[in-house]
Amino acid sequence: MEQAFLALLTIVIGVGGCVGYFWLSNIVLDKAIFPVGGPNANRNITRANAVRPWLFLLPAVLALGLYLAYPVFATAWLSLNRNEAGELVFVGFDNYRQMLGEDKFWESLRNNAIWLIVVPAMATAFGLLAAQLTDRIRWGNIAKSMIFMPMAISFVGASVIWKLIYDTREAGQTQIGILNAIWLKFDGGAGSFLLLRVLPALILLAGAAAILWVVWGQVRALSDGGTMAKALRVLGIVVGAWLAYVAVSWGFGAATAQLPYGQPQFWLQIPFWNNFFLMAVLIWLQTGFAMVILSAALRGVPEDTIEAAIIDGANPFQIFFKIKVPQIMGTIVVVWTTITITVLKVFDIVRAMSGGQQETQVLANYMYDKLFVAVDWGVGSASAMVILLLVTPILVWNVYNARKEMR
Amino acid sequence: MENIAGKKPALTWAVHISVGLLVLLWVIPTIGLLVSSFRSGDQIVSSGWWNALFTQEQQMSPIRVEGAEVAKDGVFVVEGRLFGTDGVTVSAWGTSSREPTAYAPGDTASLDDGISVTVQADGAYALTSPVTTEGMRLPRIFTTAATPPEFSTANYNLVLFSPLAGQSIFQAFMNTATVAIPATIIPILIAAFAAYALAWMEFPGRALLIAAIVGLLVVPLQLALIPLLQIHNAIGIGKGYLGIWLAHTGFGLPLAIYLLRNYMVGLPKDIIECAKVDGATDFQIFTKIILPLSFPALASFAIFQFLWTWNDLLVALVFLGTSNDQQVLTGNIVNLMGSRGGDWEILSASAFVSIAVPLIVFFAMQKYLVRGLLAGSVK
Amino acid sequence: MKSKLYVSAAALAIFAGGAHAQDLKFPVGEGAFNWDSYKAFDEATNLEGQSISLFGPWRGEDQVLVETMLAYFTAASGVAVNYSSSEGYEQQIIIDAEAGSPPDVAVLPQPGLIADLAGKGFITPLGAETAQWLTDNYGAGASWAALGTAKGKDGAEALFAFPYKADVKSLVWYSPENFEDAGYAVPTTMEDLKALTDKIVADGGTPWCIGLGSGGATGWPATDWVEDMMLRTQPPSVYDAWVKNELPFNSPEVVAAIDEFGAFAKNDAYVQGGAAAVASTDFRDSPKGLFSSPPGCYMHRQASFIPSFFPEGTELGTDADFFYFPAYAGKDLGQPVLGAGTLAFIMKDSEAARAFIEWLKTPIAHEVWMAQTGFVTPHKAVNTELYGSAALKKQGEILANATTFRFDGSDLMPGAVGAGSFWTGMVDYVGGKSAQEVADTIQSSWPK
Repeated sequence: MEQAFLALLTIVIGVGGCVGYFWLSNIVLDKAIFPVGGPNANRNITRANAVRPWLFLLPAVLALGLYLAYPVFATAWLSLNRNEAGELVFVGFDNYRQMLGEDKFWESLRNNAIWLIVVPAMATAFGLLAAQLTDRIRWGNIAKSMIFMPMAISFVGASVIWKLIYDTREAGQTQIGILNAIWLKFDGGAGSFLLLRVLPALILLAGAAAILWVVWGQVRALSDGGTMAKALRVLGIVVGAWLAYVAVSWGFGAATAQLPYGQPQFWLQIPFWNNFFLMAVLIWLQTGFAMVILSAALRGVPEDTIEAAIIDGANPFQIFFKIKVPQIMGTIVVVWTTITITVLKVFDIVRAMSGGQQETQVLANYMYDKLFVAVDWGVGSASAMVILLLVTPILVWNVYNARKEMR
Repeated sequence: MENIAGKKPALTWAVHISVGLLVLLWVIPTIGLLVSSFRSGDQIVSSGWWNALFTQEQQMSPIRVEGAEVAKDGVFVVEGRLFGTDGVTVSAWGTSSREPTAYAPGDTASLDDGISVTVQADGAYALTSPVTTEGMRLPRIFTTAATPPEFSTANYNLVLFSPLAGQSIFQAFMNTATVAIPATIIPILIAAFAAYALAWMEFPGRALLIAAIVGLLVVPLQLALIPLLQIHNAIGIGKGYLGIWLAHTGFGLPLAIYLLRNYMVGLPKDIIECAKVDGATDFQIFTKIILPLSFPALASFAIFQFLWTWNDLLVALVFLGTSNDQQVLTGNIVNLMGSRGGDWEILSASAFVSIAVPLIVFFAMQKYLVRGLLAGSVK
Repeated sequence: MKSKLYVSAAALAIFAGGAHAQDLKFPVGEGAFNWDSYKAFDEATNLEGQSISLFGPWRGEDQVLVETMLAYFTAASGVAVNYSSSEGYEQQIIIDAEAGSPPDVAVLPQPGLIADLAGKGFITPLGAETAQWLTDNYGAGASWAALGTAKGKDGAEALFAFPYKADVKSLVWYSPENFEDAGYAVPTTMEDLKALTDKIVADGGTPWCIGLGSGGATGWPATDWVEDMMLRTQPPSVYDAWVKNELPFNSPEVVAAIDEFGAFAKNDAYVQGGAAAVASTDFRDSPKGLFSSPPGCYMHRQASFIPSFFPEGTELGTDADFFYFPAYAGKDLGQPVLGAGTLAFIMKDSEAARAFIEWLKTPIAHEVWMAQTGFVTPHKAVNTELYGSAALKKQGEILANATTFRFDGSDLMPGAVGAGSFWTGMVDYVGGKSAQEVADTIQSSWPK
């Protein structure tokens, strides 16, 4: 009971305190320090307006500075030191050198790169698809709730759920993991040929085609914009072309691979591909987030632009890709950024399901291992700095966007 | 908008089917766990959950003959039934682990020392022995039997009411609520003001501040744990509820500011400029115009922040502690998993207990959320 | 001021909710317990109104057990004990120590981690007389005292942690009736064990269940196998050198021990599900093959805690039993026993914390737990008749008869190896890499 009372008290004091702070500080500013009216009215308004943003920002800046910025600087400092018998000793870049010499670090970096490409792309794509489709049917809200449901599940719960899916029993025993049960239904016949070879190959080829379409758009737009934009476009074209190449070669691989029919698979132990089985969990969790935000944005697309397109005879696909998607591009970027950042920080799923073993290590879990298992603050902090460094492109992009908005 | 699809029935059907597939794909994992949480451990490991509704023919775990013996016609007889529930049909049985299907129902198996055993198809057994079975280790019976589908709430009883060292799940529930509710409201309030300032107020260093906030989004929580706990200890907060509220506020702020600012920037410029021309102060604009208009965004972020704080384990372990009056729900369940780790039935039931509240909150808020989102289409 | 208000309000809530008076499980003065030690402690210690926070690894059912023991301490000394634990307790103790909010007393099963904390000055030494007490009163006392000894911040060696509660790891679990049905006898030498393994295969059965899965800690069961094999192929001095890395991890002795393990785990015919299943089967699921019919396997090597994960209703002694993981008759290495245990240490010095360590020296502190379940102790003054089950008693005897007792090596190694590359390496090894390759990787990960 005391606890409920305490919680209630906090809500009242916390919320009251916040509102009170904003309200009072504004009054003080307007009435006491720079009174509106009197001889210097205009000067005072200007001054008050110069100070006011900082009043609005103060609590946030304080909290951010203490809870996030300070630890970052502390970490940066720790990454240049080594703890020897409880004393910090400055060692320069030794920790980084040691980290770069570890295979596990490079493995994490490689896996993180794959995660960063696959998870935000898939989650945003599925989210956009779900948002668009569910808006058009009567039971859309129920469907939305169902897709959103995984968001409500903790990582602890999610890892249990997916362990049940990936479970493997010996050949001959009843499988209790649904993935293996389905897998064992495939026998190499016509059905398997269609579903396991033709279908994935087609999906991958379609993906490659979509990427190439985007790349082609960029190639055509190459002459526009400044040097900076050009450089970014060239980079995008190179990455896109590489991704398209990968998709085509995987499609070819899917069509020709020798598949071990009839044998239960240990999904989390298949080298390289086990990463994708872990990614599936995060995609499953994050799609609901993307869907909710994107659905709101889609509803915000002005009706008249769509009606104009219908009158012009556009088909639903054209409306979606040419009218709606460009208008909600800003939201898509926000969703993409948010999920990318979640991916950079993901460690619960990897920790609970594979522990980063069998070449599934990712940076955040590598850092956790270094910090709390190996108790190596130096290298742990160094790997944290690498994670922070990886966010730089997103940072630049967002600043660029914010600047554009301000104009 | 609906009329676009309405024109082409084939397309409508395609939409229905693809949404159906998508939903199916997304709920199957959870349904699997839900079904499993109502089955016994034996059932879970002997058949897939998708077969739970059908009668299962399976190898049962061995059952030892037990019961009071009765002296009848110079022999000693022990009678009983193998299964507590009706409807189980034995198709084969045996008395040795090497030949668990040696006999058909109704057969009589002769064991050492003149002992014989008969098992009927319904699971009734009779053991006859020429000497008293007192103090003797009786044989085990291995059966292959068809069991009808069976569901029970036993797992939930165990998870909710198991007497584990004063670890009441209700206490944990209260603790989690105490953590989650203030940790949801406070950051949103602070973030809303900051987001407004970053979206609609002119001041030097604005772009820099936005960049800093995006940069802070990515700070891995784990590296903030020790420096922050050090600060908390130094200024006397120590480990406790105040500390965890502050911590969740700090960790939730960047995303809150980022999302809210992006939403507020999209609000119609003219409304705000008109208000300014009319002489409204920023404070008035914020409370009278921006807040109501941003309600959908505030509501959706509130849901996210609530889900995160409710499901959090790491921050609670570090800033709150682990004694019984501080243990949060996720911590409680992880402890349960640690001690009962191999048992799917416990895992599934406890995972469902942990997601129940977030799901209820989501479904309760959902109508609200969708309505809010609709109102947000003001662009 | 505001924060102060909260702190006191929170403190109030803690005291209101936390006071669970627990009944004493065994009435004082009844049964074969060493009540004299209880009464002596009761008279000598009067710390009414004081309290300590205790942080340990026991959760769930184990927490119930430890709290029965703590109830006696509270009754005798007047010190209230606030016990807590969590998943990931190793990380939490590190965080709390570094941040300056450690518990008064902590209990950990990793001497390696304790040494680390001691080296940073987070632990109060227990003093020479306690070290002497351990040597005198524990079976193989000197080795137990050595476990708790580490270098402090000043570089001087001292006793920092007090061993309390042991686990025997060199055990092979089996179903006596399955052995009976098939006509197998319990092997007493490693040669016999290998012959039995081959015989089971020849009879069409699968001899072993091995599972290394354990979420983020996947691989650790294999480290126990390798350590057991080290003790059975090399003298204890080599084992000690290996644990300290004076003998490199990739030296031929270690590689041979890894391959000894591989002889069991990497043979498709020997393990349930084939070698591929070893790394992915959860260690908690792996013993279940013993109890299926027909048997999924006949033997399972695992520590004394594993019966908690046997199917519901399994009775130790009739449905399941264990034998000592035997040593080679051909090698003159005696009967080595691999074990583990937990060690208590003081992080915030106080009279009450000291009293708690003194309490752990009394036989009654051991007897209360051992009369229940899951507790084996090397304390020589306890009444072994009190062991809660025949199985515990037998484990107690194995511990007592050991010619060599060695602590779980992976817990003694630095965390980067013992809770990192050693686990990972073993998973890679059963996944197909060679022992030499794996050992090289582990050696290179050893912190310099």
